[in-house]
Amino acid sequence: MRRAYLLLVAAACVAGSITNAPAQEPSRDDVQAAYLYNFGKFVRWPESRGFGPMVVCVAGQDPFGQTIGKLVDGEQIDGHRLEERNLDRPEGVGACSILFVGATARGQEAGFLAAAEGKPILTVSDAPDFLAHGGMIQFVQVEDHVRFSVNLDACSRHSVALSSELLKVAVAVTGKSGTGGAK
Amino acid sequence: MKPGSRSISAKLMWMNVVVSATVLVLAVLAFFFYDLISFRQNLIRSLITSAQIVGANSVSAMTFDDPQSAATTLQALGSSPDVVSATLVTNDGSTFAEYHRSPNIAAPPLTPMDAGRSDQDWVNGSHVLLAHRIVFQGKLAGVVYIAAELNETGQRARQYLLIAGGVLLICMVAGLLISATARKLVAQPMVALAETARQVSRERDYSVRAAPHPDKDEISVLIEAFNEMLVQIQERDTALNRGREQLEARVQERTAALRAANRELEAFSYTVAHDLRGPLDAVQGMVYILEGLEREKKAGDRAEILDQLRQATRNMASLIDDLLNLSRASTTALKRKPVDLTAIVTQIADDLKRGEPERRVEFMIAQLPPVEADEGLIRVALDNLIRNAWKYTSRHPAACIEFGAISRRGEILYYVRDDGAGFDPKLNDQLFQPFHRLHSRSEFSGTGIGLATVQRILARHGGRIWAEAAVEKGATFWFTLKSEASASA
Repeated sequence: MRRAYLLLVAAACVAGSITNAPAQEPSRDDVQAAYLYNFGKFVRWPESRGFGPMVVCVAGQDPFGQTIGKLVDGEQIDGHRLEERNLDRPEGVGACSILFVGATARGQEAGFLAAAEGKPILTVSDAPDFLAHGGMIQFVQVEDHVRFSVNLDACSRHSVALSSELLKVAVAVTGKSGTGGAK
Repeated sequence: MKPGSRSISAKLMWMNVVVSATVLVLAVLAFFFYDLISFRQNLIRSLITSAQIVGANSVSAMTFDDPQSAATTLQALGSSPDVVSATLVTNDGSTFAEYHRSPNIAAPPLTPMDAGRSDQDWVNGSHVLLAHRIVFQGKLAGVVYIAAELNETGQRARQYLLIAGGVLLICMVAGLLISATARKLVAQPMVALAETARQVSRERDYSVRAAPHPDKDEISVLIEAFNEMLVQIQERDTALNRGREQLEARVQERTAALRAANRELEAFSYTVAHDLRGPLDAVQGMVYILEGLEREKKAGDRAEILDQLRQATRNMASLIDDLLNLSRASTTALKRKPVDLTAIVTQIADDLKRGEPERRVEFMIAQLPPVEADEGLIRVALDNLIRNAWKYTSRHPAACIEFGAISRRGEILYYVRDDGAGFDPKLNDQLFQPFHRLHSRSEFSGTGIGLATVQRILARHGGRIWAEAAVEKGATFWFTLKSEASASA
């Protein structure tokens, strides 16, 4: 857990908003927020997405509080400015690059996924069976660590390409390659 | 062998070996250090490449906190035999993942990187440590450290030493072989030259020559100069020897001449004493007879005795006159002036005819141009020759005496010819020696000094005299007045 915390601090440092990190260990939510932001570095969206900002959307109530906002503030990935957006309804998903459908959006999960279907949006969730429901990346808890699994079929449906580097550290990779995962 | 006494070929050989060994050692050192440096540079360059690859492959693992994945990436460095260990360090300085080839091999401690550098290396004895900053999406993701062994450097040094030693050995052998050739080319001629010089100085044999060198180089110049020097020395040596021999021969010749002159002088004094003694005895005898006649008052033919007495004293006076002439012929200073020989001979002939008017002798005297001579001495010489001819024709009822000259090879040969008694040509060499008479005193009177005097006078004029004769066929006396050299001058 300590390592994850350090990582988070590192991410915070490079984000330019260096704050004296709290002494306590980072929460599972903090780690997930950092991952959510970092996924953007290992994903290639189709050219059609244009030059607009990379928007990290959190469906429903934001479980990360100010964390994502602090992480993305002033940051750029591949020349795209980063923004955070809170979505109450599935209608706004069109502007999103990364969509997190957390536990707080329970019930609306299917609606958000349906709204994002076919669009170049990376969908992430910590809900179990998220991949089975057509999600792309699903956080899983392995011992003390936050890990994630990937569904490549879903990715290809959304025309989103995940880098092999990302797949390398995924707990499991399903679809397309048919493998059970790297680990 | 002391270095000073080594022969040139040995020196050349050692020079070759030392030079080639030095060159080889320097070359090996240069190559070795070049290789060492380039090896390190290549190692560091390959380590940087490895670090870049490992770094790029570890970004996701570091981003998503997967040390295992990072460790797997680091394992790939195991394919490089030099790499001892590798470490991924996060931005806060803590170790994220590590790789160790073997727990037994100590890895060097990690050193913080200088700010602003993407790569940095430290060479620490047997290890080189390389650090590489991993940058992803413009952000620093961490640092990868790779430690590699420099063991191979030592191994290379050993290989180099082995190769250098081998090549050095081959070079030594090659040097020896080349030296053998060089000895033929350079040293051998010089050794031969030195041997020749030694032989010359030891045996004093200047006819020895150094063998010529086929190549036109300094050695051949040296050999030629040496031979040239020998030629000159030999010439001088020969000349010196010849001079010494000539000197010796001359000394012997002179000694023999002196001895002969001495003997002649002794014989001469003896003969003079003896010949003077003859008439003196006669005078004493006559005086004794006259004394006897006077004491006993005997009658006797005093007139005859007195006549014999007078004859004896005349003989003695004549001998003394001749001796004086001979002496004068040797000692009187020459006073050359033009002399008319024809006139002198004519005068002598007239005197003779007047003295013995009863004899029928015909004189044939050629008209000759004047000649440079001492008149007094030449008169004595001609007087002797003409009187000789007169004397030795006295037994013939009629005679002819001829005086003339012919020119032969630029030289004037004078002659006095008679048709008288002549003489045996075998006695020719006794003719001009004093007191040597070819005829008995009873046959022809004379002192035996006349022709000796003539010869001496002509010799003093630079001329010579010789005779041609046969018994009862007359005699011809030839003479010259100047030496051939002065005549031609």
